[in-house]
Amino acid sequence: MKKSLLAMLIAAGAMQAGATSYEFDVTLKGYQGDATSSVSYSGQIARHALHNSLKKVVSQGDEAVMLQYLSGTEDGRKLLDPASKDGFAIKQSSIDELSKGKNLVSSAYDGVITGWPGNPTGQELLEQLVAQAAQSNQGYDPVNGYDYIQLVSKFAMGAVFYNKAVNHYLEEKLEADQHPNNEAYKAGVPYTGKEHVWDEAFGYFGAPAHGLELTPEEVVQITKQNPEYFAKADANGDGVVDLKSEMAYAHAYYAASIDASAGTNYFHTIMQAFVDGRQLISDAKGERLTDAQRSELKAYAATIATAWQQVIAEAAFKYAGSVYSDLEKIAAVEEAHGDVSKSFRNYVKHWGELKGFALALEAAGRDLGNAQAGLDRLIGFSPVLFGDMQVVAQDGQGGFVQASSGSMQEYKLNMIKVQNLLAQSFDLKAKLKDKTGGMSDVLKQIDAAGQSAEND
Amino acid sequence: MLETFVVWLADELAAASSSLVDSSKRVSLWYLLSAVLFAWLVLSLRYGALGWARLKPYLSWRVWWHRSARTDYQLWLANRLLLGVLIPKTFTQAVWVSWLYFYWQQQGFGDLQLGWSDATVVVLFSLCYFLVDDFSRFLVHWAMHKTPWLWAFHQVHHGAKVLTPFTVFRTHPIEGLLFFLRSMASQSLVISIFLVAFPNQVSLWQVFGVLITTFVFNVLGANLRHSGVALSYGSKLEKWLISPAQHQVHHSVARQHYDRNFGVTLALWDRLFGSWHPGNDDQTLRYGTGQAIDEMGMLGQWLEPFRSLFQTLQRRTKQRLKLRLRGK
Ligand SMILES: [Zn+2]
Ligand SMILES: [Zn+2]
Repeated sequence: MKKSLLAMLIAAGAMQAGATSYEFDVTLKGYQGDATSSVSYSGQIARHALHNSLKKVVSQGDEAVMLQYLSGTEDGRKLLDPASKDGFAIKQSSIDELSKGKNLVSSAYDGVITGWPGNPTGQELLEQLVAQAAQSNQGYDPVNGYDYIQLVSKFAMGAVFYNKAVNHYLEEKLEADQHPNNEAYKAGVPYTGKEHVWDEAFGYFGAPAHGLELTPEEVVQITKQNPEYFAKADANGDGVVDLKSEMAYAHAYYAASIDASAGTNYFHTIMQAFVDGRQLISDAKGERLTDAQRSELKAYAATIATAWQQVIAEAAFKYAGSVYSDLEKIAAVEEAHGDVSKSFRNYVKHWGELKGFALALEAAGRDLGNAQAGLDRLIGFSPVLFGDMQVVAQDGQGGFVQASSGSMQEYKLNMIKVQNLLAQSFDLKAKLKDKTGGMSDVLKQIDAAGQSAEND
Repeated sequence: MLETFVVWLADELAAASSSLVDSSKRVSLWYLLSAVLFAWLVLSLRYGALGWARLKPYLSWRVWWHRSARTDYQLWLANRLLLGVLIPKTFTQAVWVSWLYFYWQQQGFGDLQLGWSDATVVVLFSLCYFLVDDFSRFLVHWAMHKTPWLWAFHQVHHGAKVLTPFTVFRTHPIEGLLFFLRSMASQSLVISIFLVAFPNQVSLWQVFGVLITTFVFNVLGANLRHSGVALSYGSKLEKWLISPAQHQVHHSVARQHYDRNFGVTLALWDRLFGSWHPGNDDQTLRYGTGQAIDEMGMLGQWLEPFRSLFQTLQRRTKQRLKLRLRGK
């Protein structure tokens, strides 16, 4: 008897503690319309669909089509991914059903990216990469060691989604004078200014609204459209997966994927902070947020920004490990006088992922301290190629200039340093494909004790 | 420009004074206090009520405010500032460890795959770390006494006429630099080897942010080593661990105490090198080098070593010249 009473109390407490799903009622004062939900981030979902589709078309080599998804705004663009398949029906079949007139490039980071020759802005770099992809062999450039499918995708996720959410919505838009909570975001909408600001950041993360009810593994399988997990995705049980609220994209997928492999908690940490922050705004019931409320909200935003940055750094860490392994394989195949082309293709692919994620870290206007210069220098402008060459610059025509670099063997050492730098700078937890033997943990202990310059 | 300088100076001084409350630093108030408690306990057991009187030098403001002690404090702060500038921030342990870790693997050394538990590896690693650290301190210290041009710098430490816990900071910046390199090199060596042999298992056994052995060393009176409190560990234990009294012998101006007890924690190295000397609760020593440097202020401590180094070199060239002339 006592026990069940306690259980009931705990359950009641849990219910009061807040929502478990990203669903919130209308709080806007004086709202006359008939909407019941105040949640809206379909523009962000449209950009996720544009990114997913862009990744598909980069491997097809048609520049005009690529540009439709990168910078176009026209109606009628096809939704290439995620698309319905056997056992995994998708509700929408065109970009326009999500949101019209959206593109990726105009939301991309407009600051300088130091990790690419010529110091382009984030927007310029996205355009450049797409233009160069069009001249490559279906996204693959074996001469300079570029995999544009990976470079475009990984960098775009950072420069658009991460940048917009962390650098824009969760930063400047939380200030008191921006989109106050006692006013509609704009005339006629059922949501307040702050509600929508928060929703837009959440949309860019790419998690399904019921993400807190899902395990990381389930999130991963939903992104992969595994039919066995269809019921998990279809939260409202209407027989189709709604891309607007039931699908997982981009960094939400990577967060879950890292958690599923390493037992970390990035996905739920970020998801919970989004839900709690949104609950705080809802609880204000359409009143202007007090300074205390805004600082609480900013604390949630900081949790999100830190963990999000860690997710990107974790992904870069993992691919630095892959690049290291690829270099080992290439050396082994070469020694056996085998055909290295397949190993080299994998090397270039993984390098593209490493570089894309590393550039993404730079693309949100956050100060990375020593890490930025270190990553730029250690990873370089291209992988180390056969003949110990590496891209060092770009000429006036946009072609790449190579010069002799260290050997592939020495480049392996760079990968160890990259992993170390990432683990130390971003306090990483998962550290998948660790090639350092757990170096950063020991160094952290030693650093805490400080170097001794004393004798006796 | 001036503003950034002032901010930097204030930051550094604040960091230095934070050592006083940082439990990972030897001169933190905790260890300054634990040293006196430890000495009081031991001396009371040995001498009853008379034991307290033997602590007097540790508690006397005459000692703490002695001209020599004030020079210690100045050197502590000045060296901190100078080394902060001299040692580049990018010059980190990570660079050394990564390089060595990679190098061992290139030489064919790899995971030993012994299947040892994490606890075993932690204990073994901590032990090796301690041994290499303690021996390398001994060795560099030994070299500082045996090599004339190194002694030129190390005489600063021995110029202290009174000993206070802060005398540990009374060193020439060149010696500070050498000891910084020693610490980097010895740590990197042990860490890199263990990382290769036992990947993902390596961790130090730490207590309050320092290695367990350092913690025990600090609690049990590391600060007494530089103090006027003569505390011997007894004739048996002193063969294994260097007592405060033994390090005081190292600072003695008496000729029979020259080049004795170079060790920090373990007495083993001194016994191997034939430089071991016992301590005694009743020893009365005079500290210093008996040279001009004992009387110099902070600036003198910085400059005098260069002058005596120059002198040594001059003398040598003259000698060589003489030898050559004689040969003809
Ligand atoms: Zn000493
Ligand atoms: Zn000495």
